[in-house]
Amino acid sequence: MAEPNQEEILELIWTIEEESKKVEKDLLIKKISLPSAKEKLNTLVDENYVIEVDNRVELTKKGRAEARLVIRRHRLAERLLSDVLDVKEDIMDSSACEFEHILNEEVTTSICTLLGHPTSCPHGKVIPPGACCENANKEIRPVVMPLSDLKSGDEAKIAYIVTKYHGRLDRLSSMGLLPGVQIHLHQRQPTYVIQMGETQIALDTAIARDIYVRLI
Amino acid sequence: MSKVNINTYKVALVGNPNVGKSVIFGLLTGKYVTVSNYPGTTVEISRGVCKGLDGGVEVVDTPGANSLIPLSEDECVARDMLLEKYKKHVVQVVDAKNLRRGLLITTQLAEMGLPVVLTLNMWDELLDRGMNIDVNILQEILNLPVVKTIATHRVGISTLFDSIPVAKVPNLCVDYGGLIEEGISKIEKILNGNTISKRALAIMLLSSDDALEEKLRHQLADGSLADIQRIRDSIQSHFSNPLSYVINIKRANFVDALVGRVITTCKNEKKTHPFMRGLFFYFLVPLVSFFVGHKLAALLMYLVSFGLPSGNSLTLFVPLAIGGISSCVFSRYLYVREYKTRSTIAEVLGRITMHPVAAFPLLIIILWIVYKLVGEFGAGTCVNFFEEKVFGRSLIPSGGFDFSIYIPFIQKTYVITHVNFQGLNYYFGLLAQKVISRDNIIFELFLNEQSGLVQVGLTYAIAIVFPIVGFFFLAFGIMEDSGYLPRLAVMVDKVFKRIGLNGKAVLPMVLGLGCDTMATLTTRILNTKKERIIATLLLALAIPCSAQLGVISSVLGRVSGIYFAIYVFIICTQLLFVGYLSSKVLPGSPSDFLMEIPPFRMPKVSNIFIKTFYRVHWFLKEAVPLFMLGTLALFVTTKLGVLSFVERMGAPVIGNFLGLPVETTHGFILGFLRRDYGAVSIFKTLEEKGGSAGIDPKQLLVSLVVITLFIPCLANFFVMIKEQGVKNAFFMFAFILPYSILIGGILKIILQQF
Repeated sequence: MAEPNQEEILELIWTIEEESKKVEKDLLIKKISLPSAKEKLNTLVDENYVIEVDNRVELTKKGRAEARLVIRRHRLAERLLSDVLDVKEDIMDSSACEFEHILNEEVTTSICTLLGHPTSCPHGKVIPPGACCENANKEIRPVVMPLSDLKSGDEAKIAYIVTKYHGRLDRLSSMGLLPGVQIHLHQRQPTYVIQMGETQIALDTAIARDIYVRLI
Repeated sequence: MSKVNINTYKVALVGNPNVGKSVIFGLLTGKYVTVSNYPGTTVEISRGVCKGLDGGVEVVDTPGANSLIPLSEDECVARDMLLEKYKKHVVQVVDAKNLRRGLLITTQLAEMGLPVVLTLNMWDELLDRGMNIDVNILQEILNLPVVKTIATHRVGISTLFDSIPVAKVPNLCVDYGGLIEEGISKIEKILNGNTISKRALAIMLLSSDDALEEKLRHQLADGSLADIQRIRDSIQSHFSNPLSYVINIKRANFVDALVGRVITTCKNEKKTHPFMRGLFFYFLVPLVSFFVGHKLAALLMYLVSFGLPSGNSLTLFVPLAIGGISSCVFSRYLYVREYKTRSTIAEVLGRITMHPVAAFPLLIIILWIVYKLVGEFGAGTCVNFFEEKVFGRSLIPSGGFDFSIYIPFIQKTYVITHVNFQGLNYYFGLLAQKVISRDNIIFELFLNEQSGLVQVGLTYAIAIVFPIVGFFFLAFGIMEDSGYLPRLAVMVDKVFKRIGLNGKAVLPMVLGLGCDTMATLTTRILNTKKERIIATLLLALAIPCSAQLGVISSVLGRVSGIYFAIYVFIICTQLLFVGYLSSKVLPGSPSDFLMEIPPFRMPKVSNIFIKTFYRVHWFLKEAVPLFMLGTLALFVTTKLGVLSFVERMGAPVIGNFLGLPVETTHGFILGFLRRDYGAVSIFKTLEEKGGSAGIDPKQLLVSLVVITLFIPCLANFFVMIKEQGVKNAFFMFAFILPYSILIGGILKIILQQF
């Protein structure tokens, strides 16, 4: 496992490669805003993360794999911060830089799943897919989605309910529509009709958007 | 009430909506309350006496509630009744196949500390779905009597009778977790003086029950509510979700664990017999869809082809072809979709009636059948017979009628005998003339052609309104009991959203086509004040009641089909337009459409007839006195000359602005007493004015549109005051009166262009 500032350098190399394919060593050292940039780079060479060829820097297989994961964590974090948490852009950038060093494999996978395996970051760059994305590719739809995105005939379990209105939450929960309950979507038009146990319930689009379900 | 033994207890019926509380109430008390297959039918508490129990105890039926922490007015009514201090035994009615939702309420009853008998109703439907409940275990866990019933078939009712006296407080205690439990005990201390069901009250207060806080404001010491508020806020700060939601989740988890222990599934689900399935898919569906296509095409042809001669081969061929196409397409679609699934025919029907495409032609057909039954048979044939033959006129013999049989295939009528009956009023007239002359004021009061109490008031009530309303309620009963109405709500939700209502409002609206007065009462099932105001306004403005619609459709139908179509179009446009405007103008937000849909069932014929009987009974009880009152008012105003004064006042508006004969003012004034009454009167006036040239259809259309939109009848107005308060009712009145005349005037100007 690389050190945080090593990870930064690997990330930097990846992004430069992404844009222009070739990484000039001098340019790279200038871009690494650390006092001991040269030494840091040398350590990476020693640890077999990068190799130097003709005054250019290239990632090794090991380094590429490491950089890929850092980039993935960073961009997933950006997505999470901007889409779900609705954080402003400057804060999003700086927080994502911190997130990328602290997220472990399992949390990254969960975030990726929660977000529905996104393919690009808010800046439009590619998020390297993880193992979870490939599994999900067979089933293209995200695992958790609003009830309004279900197709008729789908079976799902309620994951959570997010709504601005207390009354709505109370009404749903007193009917027994609560997280963990299994439902079957009968139809989407003219209004949503779901089956919960032996009860059929009709609800409108506004409510269907607030109920998040997990396909089963 | 004299037989109630005051020393004992009262019985309260509680349960989720639509589980059969009212049926059980009827069986316990022998008293009928309107039972229907639509959630929210019981909007008030009904009381009755059960003679078979402990020498007579009072039984109280409450509106259905999903939770005793109320979210709507009717739930609030149920909860408040349970919090009243007298001693009571609760009969909780549960839909057996939805045990989980029932038990959510049982936990709340346990918190209130009330003795309960659990009634697992609709036991047959539970078994049909291949499930079973272990009653013994349930009884043991809850430590209270559990009874299996099928209320509509009176199964299990005697066991219920035996169990009520031994009702016990359910042995349930949901643990809401440290923080909330701490809050509950703190609030319990504040509630000290209030002795009953402290735990329940505390939980309700934690769930931010505003209605309850209002109630407690006077009972508690000053500052207690603020203390409670502080406790609630401090607990809330530990949770991201509202406390009421956290509490509901805890409760649901508790109940889920319980349900898992008692419900078992066995694999003998009820299926439809293969022969019936075959009959349904290969014969009935193609036949009905052919009929639907044919009728729809014929209807369209009728509306667009008013210029075509009736014998045109096109009018014959096109509907047949469209019928054939619809039969093929629809039967195939249904076969592919449903034949392989194991659903019963009722389930398939339940789905078609909500299907985004198929449901609409089906709706039109149902409306058409209702129109045939109510509009043509009820308002046409029956009314003619009752009005002209049975009642007749006081001074002119009706000439009797033929008792005959019509044989459809050879299109011949066989007269069995001629009944030489000259009409009730004629005989009354003869009888009266033995004593007094026909110019006597007393004779005029009762048998006057224009405003006699018997000749006009009673005859109208019985001969005109009674058959129409009777047949309407019959049709309405069938729609209700089969479960069609809630499905209608699903279909119209999107349109109703535009006018500030939601699908739920379909019940008051459709019921309004029967009687606006009754429908105004049912607006209580709507969630917000805004919706109730809009629904009440629209009912008063644009929904003609069955009596009026019957008269109007037969009158306009006699003139021309296209005028009836224009009439329907104008009224619908007004409904949508005013609804849209008021949804924009009135403050408040639209409410959620969240509604339970009962399974599609074969209605029980006897239940429908009983229901129709009671509704008609209610209607006559309400309407006849008003008819009499109205006629009396008319008589007095005519005699005093007030009427001609008002007529002269109204003349410029009626005559110039609406372009109608001045005499029709009379009809509009009558319209306030009964709306249909006004329509008939106007029709008669126009007929007289038209003379041999016949009625001017444009005048007729204008006058009927105005009388439909015109101020609601007196009975409806009283109910509006009762439900909405004097201020709102008069505000609506003040809007409707000029608005209806304005629309009539605009219509007149438009019609003049053609």
